[in-house]
Amino acid sequence: MMWENFTEALYTVFQLKTLLLMFLGTGAGLIAGAIPGFTIAMAVILTLPFTFSMPPLQGLATMIGVFVGGLSGGLMSGILTGIPGTPSSIATTFDGFTMARAGKPGLALGLGVWSSFFGGLISAVALVLLAPLLADLGLEFGPWDYFSLVLFALTITASLAGENMLKGLIAGAVGLLVRTIGEDDINGIARLNFGMDSLEAGFQFLPVLIGLFAFGQLLSDVKDRVRARQPLMKDTGKAVKVEHLQAIKTIFRSWVNLLRSSFIGIFVGVLPAAGGSISNILAYDQAKKASKTPEKFGTGTPDGIIAPESANNATAGGALMILMALGIPGDVVAAVMLGALLIHDVVPSPSFITDNAELAYGIFIAFFIAHPMMIMLQAVCLRGFLLVTRVPMYTLAAVILAYCAIGVFALENSTHDLWTVLIFGVVGYAMRVLKFPIAPMILGVVLGNMAELNLARAYATASDMTMFVSWFVLRPWSAFFLLLGAFSIGFPWYQKAYGKKKWTLAYIPLMAIALALPMFFMQGTVRTIVAAALLVWAAYALWKRHSGGWKLEVADDRFAEMKE
Amino acid sequence: MSRLNTDTVSAIVILAASGVFFWATFDIEKMDYRSLGAEVWPRVVLILLFALTFAYLFQSLKQGPDKKSEGGGVIGWIGRYQNALWCYGLFAAFLLTLDYLGMLIGGVLFVFLTLTALGERTLRALALHAAVSIISVGFMWSVFTYGIKVILPQGEIFSAW
Repeated sequence: MMWENFTEALYTVFQLKTLLLMFLGTGAGLIAGAIPGFTIAMAVILTLPFTFSMPPLQGLATMIGVFVGGLSGGLMSGILTGIPGTPSSIATTFDGFTMARAGKPGLALGLGVWSSFFGGLISAVALVLLAPLLADLGLEFGPWDYFSLVLFALTITASLAGENMLKGLIAGAVGLLVRTIGEDDINGIARLNFGMDSLEAGFQFLPVLIGLFAFGQLLSDVKDRVRARQPLMKDTGKAVKVEHLQAIKTIFRSWVNLLRSSFIGIFVGVLPAAGGSISNILAYDQAKKASKTPEKFGTGTPDGIIAPESANNATAGGALMILMALGIPGDVVAAVMLGALLIHDVVPSPSFITDNAELAYGIFIAFFIAHPMMIMLQAVCLRGFLLVTRVPMYTLAAVILAYCAIGVFALENSTHDLWTVLIFGVVGYAMRVLKFPIAPMILGVVLGNMAELNLARAYATASDMTMFVSWFVLRPWSAFFLLLGAFSIGFPWYQKAYGKKKWTLAYIPLMAIALALPMFFMQGTVRTIVAAALLVWAAYALWKRHSGGWKLEVADDRFAEMKE
Repeated sequence: MSRLNTDTVSAIVILAASGVFFWATFDIEKMDYRSLGAEVWPRVVLILLFALTFAYLFQSLKQGPDKKSEGGGVIGWIGRYQNALWCYGLFAAFLLTLDYLGMLIGGVLFVFLTLTALGERTLRALALHAAVSIISVGFMWSVFTYGIKVILPQGEIFSAW
């Protein structure tokens, strides 16, 4: 059965039309990634309307092409001009641009492109191997656990907003509120529509997303009248020959760095809402710490390109993994993918891989082959992609706004959706101006229904009110996620006080102890062993710090880099 | 008023909006059978929002007034956000006239006017804006109409032809 599903998926993905669409998608992603201010999420959102009429797998394969292309596109402008096309390539510029300026742009590009390729492949393997395991784990979740998981997803997203955590939490709550407008999914009762017929069906998820993300982002990009009229990049570099062979040899020599960075990428991708913008900096930081020559970082060392580029592409696999296994989007791009699946009446859940095996295998295969496509396109059309960055931003903004209108109308043939885009475009822009993070609100909109449905299921399952409330802390998985959520709320304070206050020395060991406790009550021996290991490590860390007199370590620059 | 900063104003606006929404939850129909009422979840979210926004309000009041004011009053504000205001205004006009102009003519006009509002207004630039708007919207309209087979609004003017 498994083999049958795999061959079916292989047949669909390897159809000429699908491959062509993926090629176009990867190319579009590379272009979008190369344009500073044009995020990957926006590129994937804009691709979505084209995929409405396609079969689910074809549409998703195209979007995966855009996703993979976008992750790699940012490195081209970053290396050649020092301006990263996307936040996922910020750390790449530290050594990539320096190496290019030192007369080796071909090697810098080669390292970037091939690190992206290998990072993506490693995460594709992890996706294939781990997604079914994670889905099996998800089958243990009851409604209480799912509700707590959503809470954790929202708190960690807000906490990643750094100093603006309170604003992040407010944005997440507003997102949840937006999702409650219109007919209640459980009982079909109209609510919060203020007597307006048009609001009875509520707001569609995608027009809200396009308004908040694309509309708001575009207007932020053209806010400055003078800059909006200038080309995005005047100097897009001279003709560069990518040194493929030399790059591959260098990467293989740094295989430990490649593996470590890819695993960091996968791990960050699995965390809800933590995307490539974080993983590339974390991986760079870890590579620098592990290096025998850390002083070379920032001067054009190959390891400084390999780490961020392999990590940001590996993040995609992690994000897809958590989406396919649990239905929780790993980042904004995965949230759009979730929207695309829902349009085709496919609801990701722990049984997704078994119920929609052909689609699941198709996603694995598409993710795999998008990487060689990206390599081919970058090798052939490098300069062509960079030409797009000579277009002034205001031209792109006007054309994309019109495209958003046509695309959103195509969703349901409704002008109500177009007004939704405008309203949430205003909200998204205002949020940017007032420094409210957008990602928690998007996650709130995406996960609002899931939270309410599971709360209602928990209420219906519980025999009385005491059981309904107490099971949130008595069920191991629910307690685990609530504890994770609580510690993620404290994370911004930890970041701020790291290296300055003594309590930060105990924060991580205490978190390990807290998380180990519910793990002891979970099924299976593996989790008990992991819990025991966590306890032993935490006890050792606390003892070591106690015997060291709770001496503060000098704060390194990792959080400063992350904030930037 | 001079004590207020941008965050305080934002917090007050969110609190006011949350109050309106909370009031609206009392209009939600109640159910007789044992199930989570349709009003419960919005109220849970709104209570959370109230709590967070109150914390935000106190935090903002502690900060004191904004350190640097961009000044200029309403005219200064319009000047700072004129590009965004142009885009919103033109997009709203595009939506209001969609039934008459249709997606093709309306779209071309929207792109042309937005380009002209945001970009330069020389004769050469206007010709370029016209070309960009006709080619880009025409191309997208063709893809959706003939490629994806979406029936886009034709508009009264177009149907009269």
